[in-house]
Amino acid sequence: MAVTEALVTMKRLREHPRDSHTLERFLDTDGYAAARRSVTEMTPDETIEVVKQSGLRGRGGAGFPTGMKWGFVPKDIFPKYLVVNHDEGEPCTFKDRELAESDPHQLLEGIIIGAWANQSNMAFIYCRGEFAHGSRRLDDAIAEAYDKGFLGRGIFGSNFDLDIVLHRGAGAYICGEESALLDSLEGYRGQPRLRPPYPAVKGLYGKPTVVNNTETLASLPHIVAHGADWFKQWGTEKSTGPKVFSVSGHVERPANYEVPLGTKLSDILELAGGIWKGNRLKAVIPGGASSPLLLDTDVAMDFDTLKEAGTMLGSGAITFLDETTCMVRNALVTLEFFEHESCGKCTPCREGTWWAVKVLDRIEHGDGRQEDMDLLLDISNGIDGRAFCPLGDAAAWALRSNVKLFREEFERHVTDGRCPFEEDHGRHVALAGAPRREDA
Amino acid sequence: MTVRISRRPEDAPPPRVLDDEQLSKAHAIRDKYPNARSATLPLLFLVQSVEGNVTDDGIREVAEILGLTPAQVLATASFYSMLKEGPQGTYLVSVCRNIACTHRGGRAIVRELAEHLGVEPGQTTDDGMFTLETAECLATCDGAPTMQVNYEDFYDLTTEKAIDVVERLKRGEDVTAHRGATVRSSREISQETACAGLGWKLPRDGQEARTIGGEVPPPDTAPGFRPKVPGKEEGS
Repeated sequence: MAVTEALVTMKRLREHPRDSHTLERFLDTDGYAAARRSVTEMTPDETIEVVKQSGLRGRGGAGFPTGMKWGFVPKDIFPKYLVVNHDEGEPCTFKDRELAESDPHQLLEGIIIGAWANQSNMAFIYCRGEFAHGSRRLDDAIAEAYDKGFLGRGIFGSNFDLDIVLHRGAGAYICGEESALLDSLEGYRGQPRLRPPYPAVKGLYGKPTVVNNTETLASLPHIVAHGADWFKQWGTEKSTGPKVFSVSGHVERPANYEVPLGTKLSDILELAGGIWKGNRLKAVIPGGASSPLLLDTDVAMDFDTLKEAGTMLGSGAITFLDETTCMVRNALVTLEFFEHESCGKCTPCREGTWWAVKVLDRIEHGDGRQEDMDLLLDISNGIDGRAFCPLGDAAAWALRSNVKLFREEFERHVTDGRCPFEEDHGRHVALAGAPRREDA
Repeated sequence: MTVRISRRPEDAPPPRVLDDEQLSKAHAIRDKYPNARSATLPLLFLVQSVEGNVTDDGIREVAEILGLTPAQVLATASFYSMLKEGPQGTYLVSVCRNIACTHRGGRAIVRELAEHLGVEPGQTTDDGMFTLETAECLATCDGAPTMQVNYEDFYDLTTEKAIDVVERLKRGEDVTAHRGATVRSSREISQETACAGLGWKLPRDGQEARTIGGEVPPPDTAPGFRPKVPGKEEGS
């Protein structure tokens, strides 16, 4: 049977690719009805309850139940803030960008519902700095929503006020980590905070703050409109609903696909047209650069199954790598990313990623040593569990997984004194402004 | 980015970075937020849009507007890759070097584009037209390999396509990016980034307590997470 998508958050942009971002199209397709219903007919607690019942888990990477997160917000402290984590930067993830760009009003509607549920009068969209196009779309959509009375004073004729502030980041992956995002939004360096206290209790400006991912919020209008049971028709018992997977790498049709959680990875590969050029699959990065690799596609894509398989669903970014891929290079590129994006706050992550890149670079370019593989595993162990925030752990897991699963390939680089995959890789392309690593 | 704040002779009045029009924008940006310090990033983009990069004078002026010290503003500015320390080209060409793009040939494009422009990543061409840089994942992996020119996306890149884009920009032609926007200068795009969210006015004229769900919120007694910064008080 052919695999089909379960289009929910991506329905409008698939069915109306030309004008899914316009207010006219949005209103035409039941837009803002759920938010209106929530604000005018449901109490905040009822809204939280339906989200809890739906089993919706955060779509940003951690998979924490959204309703439970909201439940931690103290009821009696004001003001409260809702912050949208639209700082999508996990390598190979591009779902939030498309959702906000192609359907900005859906996100705004989700924000209204989230803000109402949490009694917040002010929401911030932390939009990644590089998203020029998406930011313009959001800017226009917010202005339209104000004009229509969906935002501002007394929205939908109720006595609930809601303002949305669009805030642009300035280029830092770590700001996708929620406490670093809050520091950045407060005008500081984007470095993670020690937790507890969690943002739900003390977040932005020291006030209770809900930080939710774009896709999470975009799911809310559908849950409120159709109910928790409707949402649970998809997915597994503990991973409910549909999820947008960003499929990239060596496939015929890289794109976002929205399928039920628990869909077989092989089915998602089929949706994306299979491995390109008729090549064979070598490895899969199943949940963004942070996630350990998988070697085959016979696995259900939900939070718990992947956890059992020793990896994670993460942000839902699936990168397929074909047989021509050099895994040393894959590890190098991944660790270069973490090295560049390490905020520098804690030593294991800052120094560990730097050393790992040095070692990987010399292996890839034929100057590796036999003991390097153990050295890399040692570096990985030195970071894992010792870093201040999950960025360090992610780097450690990715590194360990590449070395362990493809150790023979790493060793071949060392014994051959060159990369066996390509004659000319192009000598390592240095980071902008960074010194070349020829001294490694 | 690293910047050193140089001392200015006492008698030399600091030159203004922001003219009156820009200054009123700066105030509007500051007033978007309950706390002035939150406006640090957008105001840094604002001074970058005037001077091309974040200069010492720009940092001083942002500090002045927000009631911070230059060191506080510098500490923030130096963290973010879109805030540039040195002079930039009119067009910032950012080629993705992350996983999906690398595995689909992105690094070769960086190398060949660097050769074509005669600069290394991180450098600016002699005519001041182009700054080449490598970028981390731009969330455009569905079109890998990709690049951005002043943050407008170009999909399904080849070396020929990348060179064609820079050549057309060199000739002063309008270049349309993947999502239909015309590539503009880096200063214009910094200005736009600074002013994001100013498209409408926040109704914060009245100071009366707002009602939430029909109930008047109890007065807030929670202590702030951070020491209060000079400038605007919370909630004003």
